[in-house]
Amino acid sequence: MAKYANVNELSDSQLDNLLEPPALVQNAETFHDITESVCSIAEADRMPRSWYVLFTLALCFLGVLGAMIFHLFTTGVGVWGNNQPVAWGFPIVNFVFWVGIGHAGTLISAVLYLFRQGWRTGINRFSEAMTIFAVCCAGLFPAIHVGRVWVIYWVFPIPNQMDMWPNFRSPLLWDVFAVGTYFTVSLLFWYMGMVPDLATQRDRAKTKLRQFLYGIFALGWNGSNRHWHRYERAYLLLAALATPLVLSVHSVVSFDFAVAQIPGWHTTIFPPYFVAGAIFSGFAMVLTLSIPARALFGFKHIITMRHIELMCKVIMCTGMLVGYAYAMEFFMAWYSGNRYEGFTFVNRAFGPYAWAYWTMVSCNVISPQIFWFKRARRCIPLIFVISIFVNIGMWFERFVITVTSLNRDFLPSSWNYFSPTIVDILTLAGSFGLFFTLFLLFCRWLPQVAISEVKNVMPSAHPHGNHGEVNHD
Amino acid sequence: MAITGRLTMTNQTSIHGILAEFDSVDGILHAAEKVKQEGYRKWDCHTPFPVHGLDGAMGIRQTRLPWLVLVMGFAGCSGGILLQWWTNAHDYVFRISGKPDWSLPANIPVAFEMTILFAALTAFFSMWILNGFPRWYSPLFRAKCFTRATDDRFVLAIDARDDLFGEETRKLLESLSPNTIEMIEAPIEDGKIPLRLKGMLGIALTLLLLPPAMIANARFTKSTQPRVHIVPNMDTQVTHRGQEASDFFADGQAMRLPISGTYAQEDDRLIGEQVGFWTGKENGAYLSSIPMDVTPEFEDRGRARFGIYCSACHAVNGSGQGTVHLRAQELLSKTWVGPTDLRTDAIKQQAPGQLFESISNGIRNMPSYSSQIPAADRWAIVQYLKESL
Amino acid sequence: MNHTAPTYSADFATAAASRLSRAGFLCGVVGLAVAIGLGLAEGDHMRHFWLSYLIAFAFVLTLGVGGLFFVLIQHITGAKWSVTVRRQAEFAIGTIPFLAFLALPLLVPLFSHEGVEEFGGLLWSWVHPHGDHAALITSKVPFLNVNFFVGRFVGYFLIWSLMARYFKNASIEQDKTGEHELTVRMRTRSALCLIVLALTYSFAAFDLLMSTDPAWFSTIFGVYLFGASFLAIHCFLVLSTLYYQRQGHLKKMVTIEHYHDLGKLMLAFTIFWAYIAFSQYMLYWYGNIPEETAWYLIRITSPWTNWSWIEPIGHFFIPFLGILSRHIKRKPPLLGFWAFYILVVHYIDLYWLVAPNLYPDTVPFNGVEVFALIGVVGLFLWKYGQQAKQHSLLAHRDPLISDCLAFQNY
Repeated sequence: MAKYANVNELSDSQLDNLLEPPALVQNAETFHDITESVCSIAEADRMPRSWYVLFTLALCFLGVLGAMIFHLFTTGVGVWGNNQPVAWGFPIVNFVFWVGIGHAGTLISAVLYLFRQGWRTGINRFSEAMTIFAVCCAGLFPAIHVGRVWVIYWVFPIPNQMDMWPNFRSPLLWDVFAVGTYFTVSLLFWYMGMVPDLATQRDRAKTKLRQFLYGIFALGWNGSNRHWHRYERAYLLLAALATPLVLSVHSVVSFDFAVAQIPGWHTTIFPPYFVAGAIFSGFAMVLTLSIPARALFGFKHIITMRHIELMCKVIMCTGMLVGYAYAMEFFMAWYSGNRYEGFTFVNRAFGPYAWAYWTMVSCNVISPQIFWFKRARRCIPLIFVISIFVNIGMWFERFVITVTSLNRDFLPSSWNYFSPTIVDILTLAGSFGLFFTLFLLFCRWLPQVAISEVKNVMPSAHPHGNHGEVNHD
Repeated sequence: MAITGRLTMTNQTSIHGILAEFDSVDGILHAAEKVKQEGYRKWDCHTPFPVHGLDGAMGIRQTRLPWLVLVMGFAGCSGGILLQWWTNAHDYVFRISGKPDWSLPANIPVAFEMTILFAALTAFFSMWILNGFPRWYSPLFRAKCFTRATDDRFVLAIDARDDLFGEETRKLLESLSPNTIEMIEAPIEDGKIPLRLKGMLGIALTLLLLPPAMIANARFTKSTQPRVHIVPNMDTQVTHRGQEASDFFADGQAMRLPISGTYAQEDDRLIGEQVGFWTGKENGAYLSSIPMDVTPEFEDRGRARFGIYCSACHAVNGSGQGTVHLRAQELLSKTWVGPTDLRTDAIKQQAPGQLFESISNGIRNMPSYSSQIPAADRWAIVQYLKESL
Repeated sequence: MNHTAPTYSADFATAAASRLSRAGFLCGVVGLAVAIGLGLAEGDHMRHFWLSYLIAFAFVLTLGVGGLFFVLIQHITGAKWSVTVRRQAEFAIGTIPFLAFLALPLLVPLFSHEGVEEFGGLLWSWVHPHGDHAALITSKVPFLNVNFFVGRFVGYFLIWSLMARYFKNASIEQDKTGEHELTVRMRTRSALCLIVLALTYSFAAFDLLMSTDPAWFSTIFGVYLFGASFLAIHCFLVLSTLYYQRQGHLKKMVTIEHYHDLGKLMLAFTIFWAYIAFSQYMLYWYGNIPEETAWYLIRITSPWTNWSWIEPIGHFFIPFLGILSRHIKRKPPLLGFWAFYILVVHYIDLYWLVAPNLYPDTVPFNGVEVFALIGVVGLFLWKYGQQAKQHSLLAHRDPLISDCLAFQNY
């Protein structure tokens, strides 16, 4: 024992932290404490006052969205700033932005699950919900931008009055399948994870109505270990399926751009680059949401500083992956010897949209660098600000890609400066209303933390004796 | 240890089973091992989270769920490929920019998504089906201790239908030092859905089938009624004849004057001095010669322009048997008037100016080409017609 | 933490490693000698031999630098599962300075003036731009010139060697002192090292392989080689562990669970490789821009068509189906077979990336390639064995080792 020093004997706090990380759940002695802290929110008669303030605000923005969509449908897509040569303006930027945010949820749930990262349990429910709502917002934009929404079903391979089928060679159709599949699988994943927790809420319900509603969605879950066995297998498989799916969805979104021959779009690094960007922005959004939520609902012992620190590290890492892609694009634009590529990249950095480009670079590449410092990774206000910077930066990344490549294309006579209209801006703002309305409703009525999974990473969840197949050496 | 519920085992038909509640993972693991050793078959553990090692302690065999997922994944992949092949390369062939009817790389993303979709749906729903969900009612829910099986207690339940079930069962459970032991009576009602509810569900389902049935009916029958315009788009616009009155314009007329700066085609200001070059006519008579220098390059250009603009109908040799003509004959054999054979004397004898005029303004079925072919090129074609064809 | 931490003992495999080392040296010398002999006999200014040497060198480089990626990623993520196999990757990175030495012969085709009129350069035709693309290539001269090229490689190897030395020595140091500080320090330093490694390795990929067709370019190429290398090192670890276990080492320290994890990562990176390769192919195929598709056109037309089919089928579908099942991942000999198979297709992949650029009209593959590969891999194993025979096969005083052994897949 003498030559094998006990970790806790070392005085260096950093060392303690790294080798024997603080428990994932703090200040909760029993399983019941976890149940209590999560379920009591949905069972409370009233929410904290700030919830009502936020919800009213979200509803107002949702109303704005409704009004803008009504205006759009009754007037036509001319109310937007989309025009030659920037025919893809805000709708696609917003679409990619929201889909990107929607990636962290499944990533946290699936990839971290496969990599056996126990810390996912504190935040996975949260981020899965975020995924679902972000994908709702994302799906909205392509749907409303087609002009004639009443024939949107033409994108599905169902017989229509023209006796024609959709063109499967179009990346826009791949989007329909990719985003549709992603939404479905994310929903299954979210719901499946929630079934045991809904059963917990059912069993605690005080009113008949709650018992009935939670009971319906809990499907009759009774915690049977035979059920758990299949449940865990199915969950693992869903995670294994969702992981390549996460990669594929944003890759397909990147194909929307990259299969075209427009300089600045047609480059091979786009698929992994988009995926890294999606994870980056998704984690930033998880931080933006979880920092206020853990304070508001009292989850500081479940979403601990350790969780936040780890998310900061993920943000720093993916931020640098995105930076790597920016650098590679620039280098290859020169190395390829293609003058159009070269021009596009110089135009991005020094052309009329240089302001957007440098906003993007400072938010995405420079601002997360502060997380090299441990003190920054533990300073909540700073993390919150950086997470918002990253959200802004990632929106601008899509803006830069879409607009700078189009506004000065092959035909200098059509070069034009794109400006959004007020309807564009209000629609974007309104989509945040939709997102937050759904999210706040989720916070109000559903278990925000995966109760059964958090219990599973507590020390008392592990047997002490020698049981069953646990048999080493 | 508190014991609740009836503990007499005399009337086994009314007993559903016996529950033992534990408050730690170790307790349930130990109990499960013992119960398994005793040889019980119809029993289960109910825990608030999956307890690792419990599968082994209970002797649960690996589920076959992964195999179902694998099979359905393959089905999704091949279904995705088949769907794309049938819709895009077979039933309605997309011929765009000379691309092949079927080229696999572009179909891989959708095939991939279908694979994942099918596999994921299978993983989810086979979990439901294998677990017997949804089953909203279970006699276990009536047990007092059971409400905490989804919170912080670990419950072991032995079914009364097990062959070994009897007085020893309770003793066995007691020996495992649980918090409580509880008996549950068999339910009075069997937990099945009432007939009335079933009937209502049946009617609702039938009603749900109506809209798709109506759509299918509309698709496969013919109707003399005009189509229903839910959203009119632009297919029923108000139109006016030339001399009609209109409320729309201030002057009350439907017909509009040309916008200012519009010239007639014959306007001198357009033609300038080279009247013959632009119209093929001078002083009312067709030009009898080409008003340009005839060079070998000029003749080559004429041949090339003929190939580009004329040969589609008139054929490369001028016979009038061009591709458009052949296709039109197939489709409109009764009403189609074919292009003129340009090699006949009737054409050969025409003055160059007349030929020029025909190309410029069109003749019979042939439309005007003046907007597509610059005047100099039209003259080059005329030269080619006269001299080389 | 009051429980007594179990202690583990070092595991020196001196005899097994020496055998490996000796066999490697023998293969190396004989293989290279035969390859040179066969190459000389072809009378093509040794161009074929240099191609074979380049690919074989790239193959061992992907193992060495792949190992570096492996070690750095284990440290930065604080991975526990890999502690008992990590030392073998540390031996692999210990060969990096030697790989620099193996790179020296490539200066010959770089500086050689033979075959200039025909090809522009034996391997890298940008050395003397000629032919249709001369003007295009001339515009790249600020980057693609011999001096800068050599300078870059000196830089790459310097950086990689320093990193490798640090991470290997720190880990071995821990065997002696058991200091936990070392683990923390390695974890902190791995972050910056990983960034530098990602950048240098991407450019090394451009230089060594992509620039054999100086007109062609692809931004994803660095990621492509990273994916391939990371896959290769996992396969190498499986095979190497199997070897030592056959020789009676690591018996209890590397369990079925570790094989299962290695197998899962092999599967994951088989998929990742396919994802990257497909992305590159799909975008260039769909875009259909001549300067980009030319590279693929050579490969999908005769005589390279059949080689190109190996990529999707042999490098993805077959191994994917092969290691999909958990039963296979949990049977070490079977997993070993698939690891070996993947290394073979990995070599074919590297060959496919380069050879058609130099030989668009013929598939030159013959004994020269085989013997050059045997030779270079032999020399790599020689150095690898030398590392292994001096040190314990197990980082037995790594503070995470008990966690590594406690884990179970379910």
